[in-house]
Amino acid sequence: MVFNSLTFIVFFAIMLLLHNLPLAWKVKKINLLLASYLFYAVWNPPFILLLWLSTVVDFFVGKALYAQQNPYKKKLLLVVSLIGNLGMLCFFKYGNFLLENFVQLTSAIGLDFHPAKPTIILPAGISFYTFTTLCYTIDMYKKRSEPVRSVLDFSLFVTFFPHLVAGPIVRPEQLVPQFETPRRANQTQLVQGLFLLSLGLFMKVVLADGMLASPADAVFGSLAPLATLDAWMGVLAFSGQIFFDFAGYSTCAIAVAMCLGFVLPENFKYPYAAIGFSDFWKRWHITLSSWLRDYLYIPLGGNRNGKTRTYINLMITMLLGGLWHGANWTFVVWGGLHGLFLAGEKMIQDLNKNRTPAIVKKRSFAIQGISGVQLVKAFSSSKLLLALLTFFLVNVTWVFFRSPDFTTAWSILTSMFTNVEGGAALLTSLTIIKITVVISLMFICHWVMRNRKVLPLTSKIRWWVLGLVWALMLILLILSQESTNSFIYFQF
Amino acid sequence: MKQKRLFVKAGLLAVILVSATLISWEIHLRNQGRGISYDDSGSLWSEKRKQVYEAIDKATVFIGSSRIKYDLDIPTWQNITGDHAIQLANVGSSPRPVLDNLAEDQHFKGKLVIDVTEFLFFAQAPFVDKTPKENIDYYKKETPAQKFSFAVNHVLESNLFFLDKEEYSLNALLAGTKIPNRTDVYEFPDFPAGFTPVTFDRQSYMTDRFVNDSNSVNQVTRVWAMFGKMSEKMPPVTNAAIDGIIASVKTACDKIRARGGQVIFVRTPSSGPLLAMERMAFPREKFWNKLLAATGCQGIHFEDYPPIAKFECPEFSHLSVPQAVSFTKTFISILKDKGWRFPSHNNLTASTNSKI
Repeated sequence: MVFNSLTFIVFFAIMLLLHNLPLAWKVKKINLLLASYLFYAVWNPPFILLLWLSTVVDFFVGKALYAQQNPYKKKLLLVVSLIGNLGMLCFFKYGNFLLENFVQLTSAIGLDFHPAKPTIILPAGISFYTFTTLCYTIDMYKKRSEPVRSVLDFSLFVTFFPHLVAGPIVRPEQLVPQFETPRRANQTQLVQGLFLLSLGLFMKVVLADGMLASPADAVFGSLAPLATLDAWMGVLAFSGQIFFDFAGYSTCAIAVAMCLGFVLPENFKYPYAAIGFSDFWKRWHITLSSWLRDYLYIPLGGNRNGKTRTYINLMITMLLGGLWHGANWTFVVWGGLHGLFLAGEKMIQDLNKNRTPAIVKKRSFAIQGISGVQLVKAFSSSKLLLALLTFFLVNVTWVFFRSPDFTTAWSILTSMFTNVEGGAALLTSLTIIKITVVISLMFICHWVMRNRKVLPLTSKIRWWVLGLVWALMLILLILSQESTNSFIYFQF
Repeated sequence: MKQKRLFVKAGLLAVILVSATLISWEIHLRNQGRGISYDDSGSLWSEKRKQVYEAIDKATVFIGSSRIKYDLDIPTWQNITGDHAIQLANVGSSPRPVLDNLAEDQHFKGKLVIDVTEFLFFAQAPFVDKTPKENIDYYKKETPAQKFSFAVNHVLESNLFFLDKEEYSLNALLAGTKIPNRTDVYEFPDFPAGFTPVTFDRQSYMTDRFVNDSNSVNQVTRVWAMFGKMSEKMPPVTNAAIDGIIASVKTACDKIRARGGQVIFVRTPSSGPLLAMERMAFPREKFWNKLLAATGCQGIHFEDYPPIAKFECPEFSHLSVPQAVSFTKTFISILKDKGWRFPSHNNLTASTNSKI
């Protein structure tokens, strides 16, 4: 079920009603769990079995991991959990990709191998709930927290419908304690939640699907070389589309949880106002980047084993992060480019540390490596220029992310940076105006809001202004009448 | 406390403003004399696709392009024949992907009418297969959630005029701003109001207001002229391509007939310069006659039957509602003459389309 559907509106209304009835907390939790299974099953019912399998295995393995004293048996249990979770992910998500690459490899060494092409359907959200359960078992292995006592709470932690299909990726300590005591949204939380839900749907339906999806699809689906303007507009459109799509989903998820009295972690902080790539990853898909940092980068050694090893760890993390997004080498290149930019930033930081005298240091870049680049406040115009530079480079990386293959990616990059003779003009004037207006407003909004948050800000403005903005979003949402398109991140 | 009041007051204001705006918009549209129109998307197509398993003496499936969607008046058909008309044609598309889909479906054993609009039926450009393939894909992958959303949406669409995606969605309204386009950029034609409404049975129709407005009609004829010019730039269909298409159509028809199904081709009316162009580009002996001869199926070409041979289509390509009623009545008579059997044989004074 997707948030931008009439089915969800009916479902959510019923859930709100049930959750506010005078029932025992356990009964409400059972309601939430059953509703979460329904939320998932109405997509593709058989895949609910995978969710159950993942839940049951990790609940019991997690308990055993925590209690086990024998280090060998403990490692064996961790391996069981990793094989279970990652094996499932590999089979469903990377099965075809691995087979294709194996066939190409055998062909390269002269072997004639033509296996039947398997039909593997990717279960929605498998990358998200696999990461959710993985962090639980790793935490149990490292005894970072205590095992969840109740199977009901653990099942709800894995399956809670607002985050199930496309995050935010939650950690046990963020969500499990919330199931231990009765929770219900008060009137303010409920209305704020509904406001955020309107905002999230507006971002997805009006901006991502209504304004930007079609030109992005047209440009990345074009077989002919494009004119420079069209190539740039297509890339900018995708840049906006993926932000509004995914941030819209996260906003809806946070909002829905809020209406039920729960708190989910923030997933986006105006990423296109980022100054540098480390800042970008502190603002884009925050729960994934922090997951990769805590469960991949740091276990690999992080920055503890010298500069070279730090760069290697950074690259491994970003390459695997790229592959997490999709079974295609274009995603790996996308991750690799982000890794290179992050490594470049880290290198500048190291050089700066060595060369800049202490007094100058205060007035120049205060580069913080993996934790982000921050400029001195006085240089606000430089900050804006650096944010624009970051946005420009992020757009270049999106070309690989969105292109179905390298041929398309090179063709679009060529059109973006050279004057292709006979490059086709593809987008209409109206489409170009729409993209320009939406992307410009998006960037301005990100820049203005880069150190602010929506709800505290709204509390500072007049009620009738907020009411007008809210009404405008809802009217545009209703008038958009876009079909219930899936969110882009469902396929990851 | 202050924040609580702020959000509650803002929320109430938003509800009032949204309600007032939508109610005003709805009243305005109703005063324009418009009818309800449904979103002719994959969900509506899938809903009809599920119905093709009805018994051969109870239903007829129609596939093709936009002409059969306009020209077959479904209430007239159902009133006279007592037979359920299942409309699976797609605007601007070839019927071949749907024909293949039905041929591969072992459970389909019914009556099938295939509308032949030559420049789409024999086209090889990928765009003619796009919508049918998307609809088939949607049908195969439709989730329970999508089915439920469709049911809820049906209730809303049946009661609210402003939920006409083709004419009143945000993008349709923006397209109406008529911003001059860049030179040499293809822009999907903007059809005027009243040309694209669709009933829940997937019948397309022109409103009386459209038919009586020569500016609107001319706007559509200019679109056909533009398509004509574009097709002149495309390479002509080769004999080998025609043979290949006919062979694949024959295979599909044979499969359906082998299971007890019935197949008939129909060439629906066109007129004026468009018909002249079609006669020239797609001569009967090379396309229509060859198709019937190769497949061994029956066919009804409008030019062979005087009662339907001389329609003057408002925009040269599709029939108006009264013309569609007349065409449908004659079409049923011809089918009966060709041995088609229907559940009932009511008199031919069927009412006009009650949904329009």
